[in-house]
Amino acid sequence: MAISSVIYNTIFRRNSIFVGTVLAGAFAFEIAFDSTVDKYWDARNIGKQWKDIKYKYVEKDEE
Amino acid sequence: MVNRLSGSPLFKRLASSAAVSKSTRNAVLATVATGGLAAWYVNLYGNPIKAVTLAEHGLHPGEYPWSHKGWLDTFDHQSLRRGFQVYREVCAACHSLNLVAWRTLVGVTHTSDEVRAMAEEAEYDNEPNDEGEIEKRPGKLSDYIPAPYANEQAARAANSGALPPDLSLIVKARHGACDYIFSLLTGYPDDPPAGATVASGLNYNPYFPGGGIAMGRVLFDGLVEYEDGTPATTSQMAKDVTTFLNWAAEPEHDVRKKTGLKVLIITGSLWALSLWVKRFKWTPVKTRRIVYKPPKL
Amino acid sequence: MASRAIIRSTQSQLAASVKCSAVAKPLGSAAVFDQKRYASNFYTTDNTYKVPDFSHYLKKGKGDDTSRVYSYFMIGSLGLLSAAGAKATVQDFLSNMSASADVLALAKVEVDLSSIPEGKNVIIKWRGKPVFIRHRTSHEIAEANAVNVASLRDPQNDADRVKKPEWLIMLGVCTHLGCVPIGESGEFGGWFCPCHGSHYDISGRIRKGPAPLNLEIPEYEFSAEDKLTIG
Repeated sequence: MAISSVIYNTIFRRNSIFVGTVLAGAFAFEIAFDSTVDKYWDARNIGKQWKDIKYKYVEKDEE
Repeated sequence: MVNRLSGSPLFKRLASSAAVSKSTRNAVLATVATGGLAAWYVNLYGNPIKAVTLAEHGLHPGEYPWSHKGWLDTFDHQSLRRGFQVYREVCAACHSLNLVAWRTLVGVTHTSDEVRAMAEEAEYDNEPNDEGEIEKRPGKLSDYIPAPYANEQAARAANSGALPPDLSLIVKARHGACDYIFSLLTGYPDDPPAGATVASGLNYNPYFPGGGIAMGRVLFDGLVEYEDGTPATTSQMAKDVTTFLNWAAEPEHDVRKKTGLKVLIITGSLWALSLWVKRFKWTPVKTRRIVYKPPKL
Repeated sequence: MASRAIIRSTQSQLAASVKCSAVAKPLGSAAVFDQKRYASNFYTTDNTYKVPDFSHYLKKGKGDDTSRVYSYFMIGSLGLLSAAGAKATVQDFLSNMSASADVLALAKVEVDLSSIPEGKNVIIKWRGKPVFIRHRTSHEIAEANAVNVASLRDPQNDADRVKKPEWLIMLGVCTHLGCVPIGESGEFGGWFCPCHGSHYDISGRIRKGPAPLNLEIPEYEFSAEDKLTIG
């Protein structure tokens, strides 16, 4: 009860704040979503991507 | 029979113009005409002549578990690197890779310095100098991988009339894609089977449509020496070079699949949310009841 | 069976009310049949004017904010995802307009500076234009710094025109009408444009003649000790 009322009064009561929260959230969500999917992607394809094998060849150049 | 048919209510209604409206009759006639036209069209064009024998069509390749086969699987870049080595040491003797620039290998199979070194081994036409003559210069990252022959005629002349196809898009350009390329490379039998006729200058390969292919078997165990120590068996080389050619045809492959995953998650969520919002908006509309109270007279 | 029955009923030219009665019969309302009126499955003898009790269907906890917070959250989420998707779509379309990778690869030129001795000019081509590279001597650098900047037509310090004082890199296009100036000539020891007689000094600044501006400096960087990347 209390928590929902606080949320309602801070975010949803004024439409301008509601829309602003949605738009700001869209940017934050995009960053979080991209990094989450990237993390999952790298974990799923571990050892196959260039960044996983790059170290073998970059070190060789420095020697 | 006729009596029963003519006695049927449908016939009666169609027969008597009074019982059936003009629009109904037109609709029935239009349906009959459309159906007839469609049947006539299918009869005329619906059955194209097809290659009849398996040999003419080429043996269908088996299905192989490619490391990049799944919806969410990237290329195995170590395999791409080996595959490029196979292309460079074996295929490049006859086949060009015209649509692949050196720069595209950077960050995919090789480091920038490695690609630079390889590009510099090749010579390219420079811009005209002050005398208008064209000199040679070492390759740069922006150059494309050089072709073995200057033009199609030179390629045909060197291969007794057969043109080695450009391999840039070969995986996309053949039915069966990776499976077909792999099967073709590993599918040369020692001797053609009994009854198979192969024209002179051609080699027998059951996966090639028609069975006679100008390219001979090129991959043999131990032909190249992999720098990462992988045993260079025929099938290993065929797998690596096929994976590499798949990359050449679809360099956007890894990004495409990752983007696809993101798009599916987002559109799936949007779909579920829009269903919920639809219900939310329609619930009061669908569950309301309209009550009429007659005025008291 | 059923279709036969309908055919027979049609043949006997019964009125439509009879067909309807067949439908209505299961409801067992003989009175309807007798009145020969259209019957409906929804026919009821209950009092229509009494509103049923819908309280069973009402949302629980309607009074507090939980349910509307939930509704607003769902609608807000729909808006949030749509906004993120729209942003990504617009971004993708806009990024289509920027230069493609093959154009970008050609837009940079690398120069090996170790082959250029001190006091020599080299002209290379970059994006179809000549670029002057001058390995300046310490004497020339001192000369370029000695000039009173305030007296110039296009006042610019020599230090602002170079990243390393010994390397002067400029676009070899006269700012007057676009001729290519000649190196190591002119009254100020720099460049001279033969078309209309503009004189540039050893820093590529306009000193005399019709040109309004100093020779332009392209974007460049020293990618290694003696490797220059223009673009």
